[in-house]
Amino acid sequence: MDLKLALRNVFRNRRRTAFSLTVIAVGTAVFLFVLAYVGESLLSQRLASACETGAVQVADDRVFENQANGYDALISRDLQLRVVALASEQPGVLGTALELDFAGLVGDANGSTLIVGRGLTPCNCVPNYTCYAIQGETLEGAGPREGILGGKLAAKLGVGIGDSINIATGTVSGNFTAATVRVVGELAYSLGTVEEQLGLFPVEFVQRLLKTDGVERVLIGLEDLDKAPQLADALRAAFAAEGIPLGVRTWQELSTGYASSQSFFAAFSGLAGVSVFALVFFSVVEILTISFLERTREVATTRAFGASRWRVFRGFLLEGAMIGAIGAVIGVLLASGLVAVFNAARIMWTPPGSAVPRAIHLSLSLSTALVPLVTVILATLASSVYPAWKNARLSVVKALQTV
Amino acid sequence: MGHGSQFCHARGAKFLDAQRLTKTYRVGAETVYALRDVSFSALQGDFVVINGPSGSGKTTFLNLIAVIDRPTAGEVFIENQATSTQSEGQLAILRKTKIGLVFQSFNLIPVLSAAENVEYPLLLQRRPKAERQERVRALLAEVGLSDLARRRPNELSGGQRQRVAIARALVSGPMIVLADEPTANLDSKTGEAVMDLMRRLNEEHCVTFIVVTHDPAVSRYAGRRVRIHDGRLEEGEGDGVAASAS
Repeated sequence: MDLKLALRNVFRNRRRTAFSLTVIAVGTAVFLFVLAYVGESLLSQRLASACETGAVQVADDRVFENQANGYDALISRDLQLRVVALASEQPGVLGTALELDFAGLVGDANGSTLIVGRGLTPCNCVPNYTCYAIQGETLEGAGPREGILGGKLAAKLGVGIGDSINIATGTVSGNFTAATVRVVGELAYSLGTVEEQLGLFPVEFVQRLLKTDGVERVLIGLEDLDKAPQLADALRAAFAAEGIPLGVRTWQELSTGYASSQSFFAAFSGLAGVSVFALVFFSVVEILTISFLERTREVATTRAFGASRWRVFRGFLLEGAMIGAIGAVIGVLLASGLVAVFNAARIMWTPPGSAVPRAIHLSLSLSTALVPLVTVILATLASSVYPAWKNARLSVVKALQTV
Repeated sequence: MGHGSQFCHARGAKFLDAQRLTKTYRVGAETVYALRDVSFSALQGDFVVINGPSGSGKTTFLNLIAVIDRPTAGEVFIENQATSTQSEGQLAILRKTKIGLVFQSFNLIPVLSAAENVEYPLLLQRRPKAERQERVRALLAEVGLSDLARRRPNELSGGQRQRVAIARALVSGPMIVLADEPTANLDSKTGEAVMDLMRRLNEEHCVTFIVVTHDPAVSRYAGRRVRIHDGRLEEGEGDGVAASAS
């Protein structure tokens, strides 16, 4: 009966209830939309981060701490094989890739400029090269003396796909070395300053250029990025057991920008949540106060028949919670519709940390919906506390005199 | 049915005893006496009509003996238990179990049907559903509203609403029903029907009825008649035995 009574009271003044439900539903929908956008941004950013770093990296600790002197912290061929073998045994591992970077000069007959070359295993199993927004060939399709230049670097040099360039650098032992490479692709990068210097090459080419069989890092790909910490722990334990003197870092540890974004978006979502809470609270508290006080005489009657103050208070709270729950469910449905329309519009954007424009795809999950749902129900519940308390504390005699 | 029948053997036992009740209100710096030193007793099965003009203190008196208000001085005893020392919660239990109320404006809950309104006091007593339904059915039949059980108050006439209110007052088997101007919002014919009903229920259920009214026509239903004037109580005609004016 309490539920029935609360539900009937909710729909007693339809116009007022419609207004309350509208405020609650819109608040829920806006909040949910914000959360979906934040979720999409973070997902894009983590994919962009892991696309470049792999889920887990293995390297000498000096590399991670930027304390390597030249090429004195490379991983030897033997260790590379052992690390790859150990990584491949771990569950969920997609594959491994080797990385060896260098700095040097790149140019042709017309001039030269600085290049930061990145040698990578030419497979798409760990770094997803599409995160570089490559035009032309990817490394998978590149030959042993072919490479991809940053778009701005290529423009600076005045070269394009199909042209040849010369690369000069020092070997691991400090001698001068140079090679000619054909440009088979151009890449875009989220940071312009990096795009002006970056070049991707097959790792074997870079090893030959630097006269070494070592690599700087081993990149490991994972099916589930969230399991990177577990994989890192497992590798650390395996390295300790086998005496492999290498460090392990997860993509989260390597992408400090992602952690900052997470904090920013958490604050942004929190602010949105507080705003929606305040909007719902202040809009609904007035409506509920009027609605509850109109029933002063009924409250007095039930109290005269022996209903306790707590029962009256609880009844009003139940009513508030019911309005909140109904409004929140409508809000979730509204947000689902908005998201469907939004996704169907295929609005393109370049997510933070990525160079590749893509259609925004917002997704709503039950766990995402729960936060706004609980927020607005709590806001409505909070807004019903004061009028409920006030009504429950009414003097029965005075309330019975109310017309 | 109900507790009424089971207490019929106790007809004549003192159920309510109000001693030297005074109720004052502050109006600015002035103290206004709503009731002055009023004593009153009611016996099981009494049908008492309390007359008096508007503002004489009738409703104040009813509120005090219904234990929804507390006297400034004096004491209300219900079944020999002093009520002044009882907490709000204890008084609520007392009202829930021993007292039924009928109001001038019926005071039905508009979103509940006639049957649900009658059922409400039983819910407060946490009675099982089957028992609730049985009692509601019986009470509505007794007040002649079986066919209108599903109607909401706004779909009922004034007389029908008051009959629902009487059924609600009786459903939990109270020992006393207090009615405040039960016929004031009804035409004379409907008012008579309502009073006939209350009198019949009083006789059949052995439940004490105390009816407060300013309508002299109601007085003819009184087994005992009492008058309140300027906050003082005067015993009138009838077979009353325990009222006194101080």
